[in-house]
Amino acid sequence: MAPMELILELTLMPLIAFLVGMMMVLMMRRIAAKIQRRVGPPLLQPLYDIVKLHSKRTQISHGLIHDIGIIMAMGGYIAAETLLPVPGMNGIAEKGGIITLLYLMMIPSLGLALGVGQCANPNGSIGIARALTAMLAYDIPLVIVIFGVAYAAGTTNLVDIIAQQQAGGFAAWGAVEMPLLAIAGLIAMHASLGKQPFEIYIAPAEIATGPMVEMSGKYLGGLFVMQCFQLYTTSVLYVSLFLGGGTTWFDFLLKSFLVLAIPVSIAYLFPRYRTEDLLRLMWKWPVMLGLIGVAFVL
Amino acid sequence: MILTPLDELLLFSGATLLVALILGRGLAAGWMVTILYGGQLLTLIKMAALGYSDTIIHASINFEIMGQSLSWRFDALSWFFALITVASALLSSWFSCGEWERSFKQHGGNIWLYHSAMALNVFTMLILLASGDLLSLFIGWELVSWAGFLLMAMAGGVATRAAMRYITYAMAGGMAVFGGIALVYVAAGSLQYEAILTAVDQMSTTQLWMLVVMFGSGFGIKMGLLPFHLWQAPAYAETPGPGSAFLGAISSRMGLFAILLVLVKLFGIVNIDSLKIPFTLIDARDLLAWIAVFTIILPTFTAMKQNDARHLLAWHGIGQGGYMLLGVVVADAMGGAGGLLHVFNHATYQAALFMAVTAVIHRTGTSDLNKLGGLVVRMPLSFVVLLVGIIGLAGLPPMNGFVSKWLVYRSLLNEGMPLLFLAAVIGTLGTILSVYKLIHNIFLGQLRIEHEQVKEAPWSMMVPMLILAAIIFITGLFPGIPLAWVASVQEVIGLPVTDYTLGGVESVSGSLDMIWVIGVLFAGFGIGAVIFYSAGRSKRVHQLDNYAGGHFLSADVRYQYSDNFYAGLMHLIGGWYRGSFLWLEKSVTSLVDFISLVMQGLYRRANAEFYLLSTALFVIAWVVI
Repeated sequence: MAPMELILELTLMPLIAFLVGMMMVLMMRRIAAKIQRRVGPPLLQPLYDIVKLHSKRTQISHGLIHDIGIIMAMGGYIAAETLLPVPGMNGIAEKGGIITLLYLMMIPSLGLALGVGQCANPNGSIGIARALTAMLAYDIPLVIVIFGVAYAAGTTNLVDIIAQQQAGGFAAWGAVEMPLLAIAGLIAMHASLGKQPFEIYIAPAEIATGPMVEMSGKYLGGLFVMQCFQLYTTSVLYVSLFLGGGTTWFDFLLKSFLVLAIPVSIAYLFPRYRTEDLLRLMWKWPVMLGLIGVAFVL
Repeated sequence: MILTPLDELLLFSGATLLVALILGRGLAAGWMVTILYGGQLLTLIKMAALGYSDTIIHASINFEIMGQSLSWRFDALSWFFALITVASALLSSWFSCGEWERSFKQHGGNIWLYHSAMALNVFTMLILLASGDLLSLFIGWELVSWAGFLLMAMAGGVATRAAMRYITYAMAGGMAVFGGIALVYVAAGSLQYEAILTAVDQMSTTQLWMLVVMFGSGFGIKMGLLPFHLWQAPAYAETPGPGSAFLGAISSRMGLFAILLVLVKLFGIVNIDSLKIPFTLIDARDLLAWIAVFTIILPTFTAMKQNDARHLLAWHGIGQGGYMLLGVVVADAMGGAGGLLHVFNHATYQAALFMAVTAVIHRTGTSDLNKLGGLVVRMPLSFVVLLVGIIGLAGLPPMNGFVSKWLVYRSLLNEGMPLLFLAAVIGTLGTILSVYKLIHNIFLGQLRIEHEQVKEAPWSMMVPMLILAAIIFITGLFPGIPLAWVASVQEVIGLPVTDYTLGGVESVSGSLDMIWVIGVLFAGFGIGAVIFYSAGRSKRVHQLDNYAGGHFLSADVRYQYSDNFYAGLMHLIGGWYRGSFLWLEKSVTSLVDFISLVMQGLYRRANAEFYLLSTALFVIAWVVI
């Protein structure tokens, strides 16, 4: 591939991810509004929010690590997007593979954890302790799912996994061939988004929004950007693993938005789980489904 | 007589020991010893051809004892381990020069003993690594055990108790190894590697089983494999500062070296694979893999519960050993490379972590995770080293630990071992939780008022720490550098060789190129930084200017969230910590106690008729049965 073309792809992939991610945030809010019988925000509200947060007058920094944490939270996802193939663009997906992608997706949360740590606010630290525990909960079913898919495809290369599904048509989709893994993956993905009922680490009434407690202005703005990327990455990863990726941008985006709509709709109907209940839930149902699913694959 | 490079190395190492013994009390002893370690490293680099090819360098010394010839030689396997040993000794010794040495003496430490014990450890390890037959292997093995004991026991108090526990285990392990060697001798009629290689094919399953169990447990004790892991964490953690960095980096890997040499090279993974466990579906190799996996998980989650930074790290050291064994036991090209590469990577970050923690102890006087906090502004460089180290330990990009763990995961995936894969990942996740607690409780959160004037660690400590941090990052960026050595080791011990590149590995089933991964990661950070810093200016507040829940907090109010850090998790799994292995150990000790009491009772009772009767009974029983 020509170097210029590659550089163009590496620039476009995160940019598209950001734009789509903003629309996903919008969709999430619109769904919430529909369920709560409100009107909901206008089309460009996520953009307004990001601009507003980045241009606030009072922004409190608790030190360099606080800043770096936010930068890592954004940067980790920007890097992860280049490993996530989209229609017509593979970026450097073939140089990393799915395990690397999974690990790159952990970097933003760990960057955030560092940043929150320096804020010296116990509520923030409690929030991070809970967030990491939640990660321990949902990553276990998630890696079972990843194992199953990668083993069935015989590769950890995401480009090949998508190509195999597209070559076989609908019947070769991960969700059709491995329905149990697809269900387990959906539950794990829901928890990884940190939306209700799995938002114990934010818990506004208990620990004053936990990790976000010391975040003002552009710090919160950075987290907003991170959320856009997170929604995009999670749903696109799911589409790539189970729904055959996208042949055109239209079906790619349609699938991604639809997949995301499931956990988001559920989120606004449920209260939250406690940390230990979250662990119990994640280690029981999706793990069981995932292991049975893997047994079918082997 | 012309000295071979190996002779030079051993002589250099012996000279280091002598200098430490004679001048160990002197003013510049630390620097002299450090320079001599540097000389050893240079000699090793002179032998660098070993790391890239399948050659052997012999030592000039040979013995003939009771028909057994003893010889010493270096091949790629020995060279790889020796490189790690000498480099970690050099950096730990450098770290101990100057200020640490002075404060150690002020606190009543015996610096002569420390330098001598370190030099002795390196010397004996090199002798072990150079062993050219099973007898010299056994001699080296015992020497290493006792040298380790010296370093562990020197701090006195708790450390001595831990060291006594270690030496008890080590002696039991030595006995098992000796028994194994005797069995080999009976079967092969010789203790030379070549003779054993040919004899293995003729061995019966029972013989091979006995050998695997004896050597496996003997060497496994040194590695801290379950269920023989209890000694390691306290023994390493209580060793004085740089000594723990050295021990944590390489000492227990001598067990892995011996396992590689005897179980993998001499017996062969294929033969071990053919040993079925009756009435089950698993064989000896699966058994080893599962031991490795439990060695990953249980110590890692024990580490999470520790409230002392050094103990936390030492427990992780046991857990990481599991990844090495797991990779080697899977024994395909990627697994073997992952396991071996992890030896190198682990040495780098474990030494860096122990040093960073020692630097914190040097400045604050404690490693209690509930008595620290907020030191990031006071000791920024130590923070960076610890951060680089924990990223490596947790196995996340961009540090080197990621590459070796990636290789192990990939091998498990290729071979279709979902449960082992899952267990390996659980270990990693547990590590992430545990190391965040480590960095949070030391460097993040609230600064204690008594630490307001703490200064950064002195340069004599900082430089070796920064060198290690640089190695951790560079070998993460270019894993091809150590993978070249690893590939020669794989060839020497008869494992398939990986197809490596400078940035990682090539494979049809998914490659890895760290140069690209790290490149985009830092590009991402760069873009993040541009977005962040192009927005409005932020106001930097003082570290002690805080509030929580609407209340202003002054520095004299303690509000660091440190104890029972993962409360929610412990609600669920807290009950699973039963101390079963402690219980097992206690029951074995009390059984031994009981037997010795009975024997003592018999012995003290001067009753001739009773002896006669019991001997007669014994003889009758012997004859009848």
